[in-house]
Amino acid sequence: MIRRRIRPLRRGQGCQLNLPPEERELLKILPVELATLIKGLDRGAEPPESMRRLFPRAYVSDDGAEQAYAASTRAELSERHQQALATLADTAHATALDEEQMAGWMTALNDLRLFLGTVLGVTDDESWVPIGPPDSEVVIYHYLTMLQSELIDVMEQWLPDPVPGADDLAPDDPWGEPLGGLRWDGTPRPEWPPRPDQ
Amino acid sequence: MPIFAATAPSEVMRPDTEQSLRTEMPWLVIVWNDPINLMSYVTFVFQKLFGYSQEKAHRLMMDVHTKGRAVVSSGARERAELDVARLHQHGLWATMEQSG
Repeated sequence: MIRRRIRPLRRGQGCQLNLPPEERELLKILPVELATLIKGLDRGAEPPESMRRLFPRAYVSDDGAEQAYAASTRAELSERHQQALATLADTAHATALDEEQMAGWMTALNDLRLFLGTVLGVTDDESWVPIGPPDSEVVIYHYLTMLQSELIDVMEQWLPDPVPGADDLAPDDPWGEPLGGLRWDGTPRPEWPPRPDQ
Repeated sequence: MPIFAATAPSEVMRPDTEQSLRTEMPWLVIVWNDPINLMSYVTFVFQKLFGYSQEKAHRLMMDVHTKGRAVVSSGARERAELDVARLHQHGLWATMEQSG
């Protein structure tokens, strides 16, 4: 049986962490490194390519509106990333987490994956995985993916009830189906449901 | 009797009227497909931020995944910017554009 690293306690009580020491050490080092990179960014400039998923644009083509959006949101967004990464680093050796710390882990694990995945050039299909022995970044990326999946499994059980009427207020899809078996951005449409592994 | 007279505009729409109509068109908050965010995470974030049911959040996530993008909320510009900022804080690839 697969050993679960995140064991939920009762709702509102958080979880227990069942992690081997070498994984904890990794979870302490990685967020400190990423937080240092984020802290060193020039607030006024466009983020570098490796950081574009951590600081995305709100306006695709309106540069003026985008500059105003970035000016009003960038500092808080940067602070959120750094706080979550600090929570992960500070509690990497803890035996248990409360729900707020779990939320910090969720954001930090996702931030680490967004950064690593961008650097590695992760794509939708499996072809980005190098042939031969994977290097350490690939292994770390997959490890973080597994850990985040476990965290989602637990935290989705604790979501509050849906807001009454929220579903009805959601806008309808204004575009319908893209043509030619492609997505709107022109990339191939994934097969769904996925073909079972042979 | 001229039959086309009725279709001719009785008054030309002035630019400022056009502009104010344009300003009132709702803004759409769009989430784009990306290969890094997990499908279960995207569904989780839609439920958490917008209070959608699991079914609705899952449907929107599937639109993002299979069609490449989905509109997840809409409204006035300030409201849309707030939603985009909240989605960015959760690591989703969100943009906004005016409908129409």
